Amino acid sequence: MKKAFLALLVLAASVLAGPPPHLAIRNARIIPVSGPVIEKGTVLVRNGLIEAVGTNVTVPAGVWVIEGDALTVYPGLIDALSSAGLPQPSSGNRGSASGPATPPQTARAWGPEDRPGTTSWQKAIDLFKPTEASVAAARNMGFTTAVVFPTSGIAAGQGSAVQLGGEHAGAMVLEPSVGQYLTMQPTGPAAGYPSSLMGVIAYLKQLYLDAGQYAKAKQLYAENPKGLARPTYDRALEGILASPRVLLPADRSIHITRMIALSKNLGQPLVIYGGAEGYNAVSALQASNTPVLVNLKWPEAPADRDPNTEDSLTTLTLRAKAPTTPATLAKGSVKFALYTGGIEKAADLQSSVQRALDAGLSREDLIRALTLSPAEIFGLSDRLGSIEPGKIANLVVTKGELFGKDSKIEHVFIDGVKYEPKPESPRRGPGASNSATEEGDRQ
Amino acid sequence: MRIPFTWLRYFLPLRPNALLRRAAGMSIGALFAVSTLFAQTIAIQNGTIYTVTKGTFTGTIVLRDGKIAAVGPNVSVPAGATVIDAKGQHIIPGIIDCHSHIAVESINEGSVSVSAMVGVGDNVDPEAIAIYRALAGGITIANVLHGSANSIGGQNVLLKMRWGKDADALLFEGATPSIKFALGENPKRAGNTPAARYPATRMGVEDVIREAFTDAKNYQKRWQDYEAKKQRGERAIPPRKDLKLDTLVEILEGKRFVHAHCYRADEILMLLHIADDFGFKIRTLQHVLEGYKVADEIAAHGAGASTFSDWWAYKVEAYDAIPYNAAIMHKRGVLVSLNSDDAELMRRLNTEAAKVMKYGGLSEDEALAMITINPAKQLAIENRVGSIEVGKDGDLVIYDKHPLSTYAVVQKVFIDGQEYFDQAKAHTEVSQREAERERLLKEEAARKKPETKGKDKAEDAEKPAQERSSK
Amino acid sequence: MRTRMISFAATVVFTAIPALLPTPAIAQESVYLLKNVTVHPVTSKTVENVSVLISNGKITGIGKTLRAPAGAKVMDLAGMHVFPGMIDSATDTGLTEISAVETTNDTGELGEFNPQIRVEVAVNPASEHFPVVRANGTTTMLVLPGGTGGGRAGGDQAPKTIQGQASLVHTDGWTWEEMTLNAGTGLQIRWPSIPQVSPRMAAMRGIRVPKFEESKKKQQEQVESLKAFFEGARRYQQAKVAGDPTFETDLKLEAMLPVLEGKRKVVIMANTERYIKEAVAFAKQQKLPMVLAGATEFGDTLPLLKENNIPVILGPTYELPPNEDDAYDYAAALPAKLYKAGVKFCFGSYGTQFARNLPYNVANAVAHGLPLEEGLKAVTIYPAEIWGVANQIGSVEEGKWADLIVTDKGDPLETTTDVKHMFIKGQPVNLESKHTKLYEKYLNRPKTTAPEKP
Repeated sequence: MKKAFLALLVLAASVLAGPPPHLAIRNARIIPVSGPVIEKGTVLVRNGLIEAVGTNVTVPAGVWVIEGDALTVYPGLIDALSSAGLPQPSSGNRGSASGPATPPQTARAWGPEDRPGTTSWQKAIDLFKPTEASVAAARNMGFTTAVVFPTSGIAAGQGSAVQLGGEHAGAMVLEPSVGQYLTMQPTGPAAGYPSSLMGVIAYLKQLYLDAGQYAKAKQLYAENPKGLARPTYDRALEGILASPRVLLPADRSIHITRMIALSKNLGQPLVIYGGAEGYNAVSALQASNTPVLVNLKWPEAPADRDPNTEDSLTTLTLRAKAPTTPATLAKGSVKFALYTGGIEKAADLQSSVQRALDAGLSREDLIRALTLSPAEIFGLSDRLGSIEPGKIANLVVTKGELFGKDSKIEHVFIDGVKYEPKPESPRRGPGASNSATEEGDRQ
Repeated sequence: MRIPFTWLRYFLPLRPNALLRRAAGMSIGALFAVSTLFAQTIAIQNGTIYTVTKGTFTGTIVLRDGKIAAVGPNVSVPAGATVIDAKGQHIIPGIIDCHSHIAVESINEGSVSVSAMVGVGDNVDPEAIAIYRALAGGITIANVLHGSANSIGGQNVLLKMRWGKDADALLFEGATPSIKFALGENPKRAGNTPAARYPATRMGVEDVIREAFTDAKNYQKRWQDYEAKKQRGERAIPPRKDLKLDTLVEILEGKRFVHAHCYRADEILMLLHIADDFGFKIRTLQHVLEGYKVADEIAAHGAGASTFSDWWAYKVEAYDAIPYNAAIMHKRGVLVSLNSDDAELMRRLNTEAAKVMKYGGLSEDEALAMITINPAKQLAIENRVGSIEVGKDGDLVIYDKHPLSTYAVVQKVFIDGQEYFDQAKAHTEVSQREAERERLLKEEAARKKPETKGKDKAEDAEKPAQERSSK
Repeated sequence: MRTRMISFAATVVFTAIPALLPTPAIAQESVYLLKNVTVHPVTSKTVENVSVLISNGKITGIGKTLRAPAGAKVMDLAGMHVFPGMIDSATDTGLTEISAVETTNDTGELGEFNPQIRVEVAVNPASEHFPVVRANGTTTMLVLPGGTGGGRAGGDQAPKTIQGQASLVHTDGWTWEEMTLNAGTGLQIRWPSIPQVSPRMAAMRGIRVPKFEESKKKQQEQVESLKAFFEGARRYQQAKVAGDPTFETDLKLEAMLPVLEGKRKVVIMANTERYIKEAVAFAKQQKLPMVLAGATEFGDTLPLLKENNIPVILGPTYELPPNEDDAYDYAAALPAKLYKAGVKFCFGSYGTQFARNLPYNVANAVAHGLPLEEGLKAVTIYPAEIWGVANQIGSVEEGKWADLIVTDKGDPLETTTDVKHMFIKGQPVNLESKHTKLYEKYLNRPKTTAPEKP
């Protein structure tokens, strides 16, 4: 009842379109990430920004205070590769480096000029729906920001960094274009070119070559059009040029090195996503300064298959060692972020995280990989990712250590607005959750 | 490609899956027990040495700094050299397979008739087990080709079987780039659905190739015009750089070899004429199963021929194939090599070579040449490999019996003067791998147990099948 | 002069008589004496410097002091070696001409249970494959009506369960009747198995990968159907024996009678431990003499096979290992493993185009631990025993058919050994083929210089 009243209050507050409340979390344990842990301190928030943080913060009168004696405050978690808020096809692949993301059916492509599998002009924010259940679901797990990407096709479109709470989509945008999502998925035999992995690679090389030539042609034409053929508008190339970086998939270490080489052909900074065998590619990543988005959904044996299937040593090794990737990358000073990769249940996220911790990832590195590192990777670290004065007030407040045993998320703040995470219902029951996402079979 | 007999394989993907990784902190090299005798001088003594180009004799080979430093009946062993006693054993140059599709993650870009912009080299899989298995069969170099789905296919890649190294390190340094063409049934039907893709006839195949080179010439001209404009100080927007046409221009300029898959005598002649008309040479005709019918024409053009020893009758265009093909072409002055086009066959190119003695009466040296110096010449790498001569790469295969015998088993393989395969070690590795598999399976089962109370009992009952003892 | 005329007339008459009589299976009476050869009987020690006498199709003498009867064709084969002709126990030679051309393929009939269809009637004696295949020494083949792997070539049809009667045929003859050595030697059964479709393949073909439980259920249903079919055959048998007045002949079930009586072996194609065990259990329960075919992954079943005296038709040793982590020489080492486990086996080419390389596959097995004598036996006397025709073929022994090869060197498993002569049922076999003829033709093409421009 009290919760409902509070929720109504919050709703009322947002409807009234007033400024977010001036609030303080007092005497809590604070993990700023950008600096040492503050065992007992205060965070002061005003106008959606962090005004002050420290042991000696004066709390002005009239400020709404949350007593943080048993609480820990973290920067709000950033899901570095998400599909939250995007309407999903029946069983979409969420940023899996190797899953098939079937593109919309179009006319058969006869060459790179037909721009197969390319919707590079599309921005995630234009597809984003704040009312999608996935937004609240992510928030309930402690995420305040998601970097959302269209994922269908070869050059699927531009990712956007969005807040996972807000009045309307526009107000939730942090950055509309943070990177072009590329995949290695051939468009399929009926769709024509490219129908092979090497075809996709050749296509991307040509596409980016064309973009370079297009930019040059436009520039020449703009300087002085006289006597020159008019460059043809190409929205695909516009999309390529609008993206500040490229995301390329790689789970195996040989794919990581291959994508690093490919990105040199494309001429844009690279972010790898997937990263399951990152533990074997540390030197290549170090040498090229390539950051990795590591999928927390560790490779597992598929359920429901013939138990007599013989998994090769290679497969077994990857399954055993993938969770060591975060710790290994951390040790090698390779920048990386973690993303949920389709994990929807908090319990599953918990066990995934636990495997990484068991494999040697420190708690500190874990938190950083969910906060400041993704902010840095996507160029948002000047305003997000840590608890520092001036930064956006995205916070997650827990009882107990985040991802610790028996810990609980008490509050989530986005732009200084407080959200109460809904408790996770352990069993699926009628109306137990408003999640529209497919829960799938019980494992 | 040959279809293996087990019915299971009709459904399994035809390419080897991703492969052996570092397990338990051991490096790939260690796990496969590559006792890479790094940067050591090695002397192999007392074996029968088949140099292929300079006779056969019992003697010694010295490997140093990756090369053959000395070879002869009476070569002295340098101090500090690791000595290998090859008494009773037989040593030939590393075998070169001129037609392979291993170690790449995709082989065919079959959606278009001209796919010169793609390259199998863009998706090399250095962990493909096929590399190891080829190595175990004496292969030191594989000419990995694009498939035969297109009249003009994609770019090829030349690999040394340096098992354990990464993709870049497998590349044969400085190899002349090459491209694959295909004539006959494959490029006609590779569109899969009827009339999905031009051409549907051999006439169309010729047209596709001629049109492509015509486009390439126009493209060349466009760039020449642009350069001329720039020279004159005129403003111009550069033409679009087209990766496909760039590749075709390289062929016209003689900078990229053409390896052309072909079967019938008529299409062989057709292609030779095209090359003559556009002013380039076909480097090799591949398969060329009816080459024996037009051997003189092939020899006159100067194309090499790389063929099977005795495949036939799997397609209509292979119905006139005869195992005497290689011998006839060889006798008529064509440079002939034998290839595999198959991950299994490549492991026994030595016994394939023996067949040209049976079918056509060629000599031992001629037979060995078919899988060593001849493919080396076809690939323009004969200055480095293909025979056991001083100065060439230390690429060797040691057999326990005569290299052309059906009983011969590869004992050791050297590449660049390092041991990359040893038969005895290979077997201990198998049990090591099996032990590691068992360990990981147990670990995984233990990890899953707490979550699987009340799980499918059948799965638990069947689990032991996975953990079976070494076969 | 008179005697000469009489003997001439006699010769004319005597050669004319066979032409007047209905042609028997053996073309004409012929006697051959092969002199100065080394004979490798396979069932006993090699003997040097002997002669072999062939009459009426049979081996009628092996010895140092054989005399050629009148009219015998004497062949001085000094330095050559006589071996039994080789037996290929799994092939579709004669049933397929060009594998990519569906109309030339006669393997894999439609219908789940076809015990009544007979492979020999579809074997094409004029196939270009027979001359090619026999040139390296194969004189007898077991032709499989269901083919040697997969369903209908080029089709997506799943392989059927009871595929027909496999028969032993000689690799030469004017008609299939002449060629058939033993009709209905075995009943070819493909053990129901779950097809393995990788998710990638499924995505490419746009089919759904069924859940394992679903597939397993389906497979069990297929096994039950097979059992039910056998039960039905037994009831038919009982009804027939009991003289049931309502009894009507059913061709399918008639064809099952020799199987139930143990006269026709069940050749069950099953692979991997799970299915081999199921097949063996079935054969045991049904009390059927079984031969295992198509297996490469035996798991732990070798003792089981030995215990139940189930022989195996092994396939080519020139095969890649079935699993990624298998030893690289898995296939070549397999025969030695079976030998050491005491499991009886023979070899089959499981194909057509490479059937001529059968002896080299055997050599590969020998190179990996199989004793040479065992290898030779596995393509001669062992298959003869397995197929119940050891009294007719499989070794160079008096009384057996003269199915012989004469080689220029002592080891028929080496590539460099050539088969110079061949006899099938005592008749010399022409070792020419399409290949040798094209060779001759193009070897003699007049030299041309430049390609003629059209």
